[in-house]
Amino acid sequence: MAIRRMLLSRKLLAATLLGVLAGSPEAAWARVKLITLPVRERVEIQLDNEQATLVEEERIVPLVKGENQIDFSWANTQIDPGTIVFRVVEGDDAPEVKVLSVSYPPNESALVWSVSASEAGAARVRISYLLGNLTKSFNYRAVASNDERTLDLSQFMRLKNLANEEFAGASLWAGFGPNFSQPVGLNETKELLVERFKAVPIEKTYTCNPQEYEYLDRAQNKLRVPMHYVIKNDAEHGLGKAALPFGKVRIFIAGGGDDPQAGTAFLGEDWGKFTPRDDEMRLYLGVAQDVVVKRTIEKNETRRVSGNLYDQELIVKFEVENFKKQPVRLDVIENLRHLRNEVRGDNGRDVKWELGKETTFADGPDEERSNAEQLVFHAELPAAGKDGKAEKQALKLHITLKNEW
Amino acid sequence: MHTNIPHLRKLAALAALLAITATASQRSLAQNIDLSTVPSRDSVQLTIYNSEDITLVRETRVISFKKGLNPLQFSWANTLIDPSSVELTILQPADKLELLDTTFPHDKPQMLYWNVQSEFDGEATVQITYFTSGITWSADYVAIADGDEATLDLEGFVRITNNSGEEYENAQVRLVVGTINLVEKIAQLAQIPASEVSEMEDLARRELKSQATREFFAKADKLAYDAATPTLAGMGGGELAEAKQIVKEGLSEYFIYTVEGTETIPNGWSKRLHSFEANDAPLKIEYRYRPREYGDQLVRMYLLANDEESHLGTTPLPDGVVRVFRNNGRDGLSYLAQQTVKYIPIGDKIELNLGVDPEVVFELVKKGVSREKIWTQIHNTNTFKLVGDDARREEENASVVGWADRTEYEQRIRNYTAKPIDVEIRRTYDGHIAFISGLEPKLHDYQTVELKTQVKPGEKETLDFTIVQQQGTNVKQNNVTLEAASKL
Repeated sequence: MAIRRMLLSRKLLAATLLGVLAGSPEAAWARVKLITLPVRERVEIQLDNEQATLVEEERIVPLVKGENQIDFSWANTQIDPGTIVFRVVEGDDAPEVKVLSVSYPPNESALVWSVSASEAGAARVRISYLLGNLTKSFNYRAVASNDERTLDLSQFMRLKNLANEEFAGASLWAGFGPNFSQPVGLNETKELLVERFKAVPIEKTYTCNPQEYEYLDRAQNKLRVPMHYVIKNDAEHGLGKAALPFGKVRIFIAGGGDDPQAGTAFLGEDWGKFTPRDDEMRLYLGVAQDVVVKRTIEKNETRRVSGNLYDQELIVKFEVENFKKQPVRLDVIENLRHLRNEVRGDNGRDVKWELGKETTFADGPDEERSNAEQLVFHAELPAAGKDGKAEKQALKLHITLKNEW
Repeated sequence: MHTNIPHLRKLAALAALLAITATASQRSLAQNIDLSTVPSRDSVQLTIYNSEDITLVRETRVISFKKGLNPLQFSWANTLIDPSSVELTILQPADKLELLDTTFPHDKPQMLYWNVQSEFDGEATVQITYFTSGITWSADYVAIADGDEATLDLEGFVRITNNSGEEYENAQVRLVVGTINLVEKIAQLAQIPASEVSEMEDLARRELKSQATREFFAKADKLAYDAATPTLAGMGGGELAEAKQIVKEGLSEYFIYTVEGTETIPNGWSKRLHSFEANDAPLKIEYRYRPREYGDQLVRMYLLANDEESHLGTTPLPDGVVRVFRNNGRDGLSYLAQQTVKYIPIGDKIELNLGVDPEVVFELVKKGVSREKIWTQIHNTNTFKLVGDDARREEENASVVGWADRTEYEQRIRNYTAKPIDVEIRRTYDGHIAFISGLEPKLHDYQTVELKTQVKPGEKETLDFTIVQQQGTNVKQNNVTLEAASKL
C-alpha cells in the first residue's frame, strides 16, 4: 500500500506525502534515506468558511520510542504552511506523543515535525491545513409549475478541485445540509445536490421603479416593468432552515399538457443574492411587455416659504394598462430623492416629503417596504377583456417636497 | 547535547572563521603562501530582535597564544555580519593579554586582523561579538475553541528563521520582545535632529544603529545571561521528551525569551518552537458594530484576556498571527479566521474578530426625514429670521443659512443562532448632533454613541433612535449629546 502510494505520488508529482524518517535526525537529510509512507485513513474537506477550505486528514504513523522526524510535503499545491495544525488522536493503546518542534527546510514546500513517543507503536495523527484552489460555489435549478404558483428548487454545491491533489473518499461538508462522501479527483468539478425543496410557493411580481429600472421608452413615457419570482426563505414557504447562499438560479417552467416534464421550457436565469432566513430572494426573469406603465409628472408647483426656501407640490401620474389575460398586481415604487433630483436637481440633502390627498392608490403605501426614501404602492390590474382591450387606470401620487432650497 | 533539527551542513558557507596566522609579528599582507590554525567555536549565543533585522552573536573560542605578538584573522565571507560591530574581548586570562590593534585590509572584504600581545604561552578564552542581519523570529498562535464555544485553547509558538548565511551550531537562543527606539538613540548619538536620521549615509546610520543596539544589549545581557543558564531537557535515548521550555523574563520595557538548551538552525531553515499553552480559557462571545475598526458590518468576536483567569498571563503576547479554529463536534476542526494581533501586555484583552456571522442579520433603515429650526438671512444685512410653521414670510431677498436635519432610524437585529447574543453598536457622528432614544445609550467618546442589547435566539430586536444634526449657522458644537426619547 505504501509503495503504491509512493508510485502514485511520483506519477502525479503533486501528492501530499507524509513520511517517517528512520534513523537519527543527523542521517535524515543524507542523500540515501528510507521513509515509510503512511496512507490517508480519512479525509474531511470543510467548506463552511466563506473564504477558505480546510482539509483534515488522518494517518496512522509508526513511531519508534524516543524522537521521530515526520516529514510532510506538499509540492505543487497551495497549502498555507502557517495554517497546518498537527494533532495526535489519543487512543488506549497508542503511545503518548509530544510535538517538540517544527522545522521548515529552505526552498521546499515541506516541513518536519520532531515528535517524541513514549513507546514504539502506531499513532493516529490528524493534520489540518487550508488548501487553496479547492473552492466551492452554489447554484440553483428551479422548475416553476405551469401556473407559476410554486416551484421546485434544487440547491447544488459545485466543488472545483484545482488544488493539484486528489482525495479518495473524502467527506465534504458545506456548513449546512448533509455530509457527502465522495472521491474528489484531480482538476475535477463536482456538482452535488445539497437540498431539494418541493413546491415552494412563489409570488410573481411586476414592478416599476424609475430609479432602479428606468424608462423602457422615454419618448412615450413608458416605464420598464420587470417581472420577478419572489421566494421567501421562511418555514411558511417550505424553506427557512438556513440562509440561501449566493448563486446563479436557472429557472424553468413546466409545460401545460399531460406531460408537464416534456413541455419544460427555460425561462431565464438570475443571480440569487445571499438570502438570510425570513428574507426574500427576488429573481429577475425579464421585462413584461404586456403590462404598460406610462409615468408623467402632471403637476409641478413651487411655493415660496421664505427667501430661497420653497415647498414643491408634485403629482406623478401612472397610466397603467394590463394586456394580459390574467389579472396582475403591480408594485409601483417611487424613490423620493430621485423624484426631487428630477424636478429640482440634486442638492445632496435628504428629502422631507408629505403624501398629499390627491393620491389615488387604493390601499396607501406598503408600510413594510416603504421607508424615508422610497414609497411602495400596489395596484391591482384586471385582466384584459376578451377583445384584447385593456382597462386604462390613472393612478396618482401626490407629494409635497418640503423646505427645499 | 542532542539536537532535534535535521542537519544540513553547507560547506561553502563555513563562515565567521577565526584563524591564527602562523607568521610572526609584522605580517605582510601581500603574502600569498600562508599557514593558519582554526580554533573552533566553544559556545555561541544568539540574541534575536523581532522589530529590527538585527541579531547579536556572542561566541567564545579557546585559543593558544604564545608569548609576544599574536596576529588573528577573522573573516565572514558570504554572511550578513556588520563589520563595524565586530569586537574582540579577552575573557580569561584578561590581565595577560592585550588587544593592540584592528586592521581591515583594503583588498579583502569581509575580513579583519587583530594583533594581540601576550605575556604568556598558553590557552586563553576570547569572546567575539558582532551583529548580523538575516536571523529573525516571529510569534504565532493557534486558538481552538471547544464545540459550544465556552472555552478556548490557546497555543503560542515562536518561529526562528536563519537566512544569515551562517549556521550557528548548538546556539543558545534568546528572543527579544519589544520595540527599541533606535532612531532616537541614533539621533542622540549623532547629536542631530531625529528627522535627519533617515537622510544620513547608510553606512553611518548602520554604525550608529549598531552602537545603540549594543548599548541596549549590554543592559539586557546582565539580567538575561543568568536566566539563560540552560537546563537540559533529558533527551537520553528512548525517553518521552517534553517540548523545550521557553523561559520568559521581564527586562525593563522588554521581555526576553530564552529557549531551553541549544538549537542549530541551518542557513535557509526556519524552526518553530512551542512557547506556551493555555487550556480551557473562558471565552466570551460578543457581536460588535464598530465601523472604524471592523468596517461597515456586524462582526462576531471571541473575547478573553491575557491573565490568570484565562490560564495565561505569564508573558506578554508578541505581535503575531492568530489562527482561530473551532472543534466542529465531528472529530475535526472548523476554520474561523486569521488575524494579526499587536503586542498584548499581561492582563490586557485578547480580541479575535471572526467576521460576519451569516446567522445574524443586521440592518439599518432610515424611517423618516425632516428639517427644523430653519434660519434665513436677509441679504446684505445681519438680520436672521427663524422660519415659522404658521407665520409664512415672503422674504424675497433671503437665503437659508442654518437648519437642523432630523432623521429617524430603525436598527434591526435578527438572531438565528441557538444562543442569546450580546450586541454592542458604536456609531460615530461628525458635527453638532443630538442622539435621541428611549434606549440606554452611552457616549463612548464625544462623537461616538454606544448601544448594547441582547437578542434571544430566534428573535428580532428593533432599536429606534433619532439623530438631529445642526447645519449651517445652527452649528454651535462639534459633539454628540444624548437626549431621552420623551423629548421627541
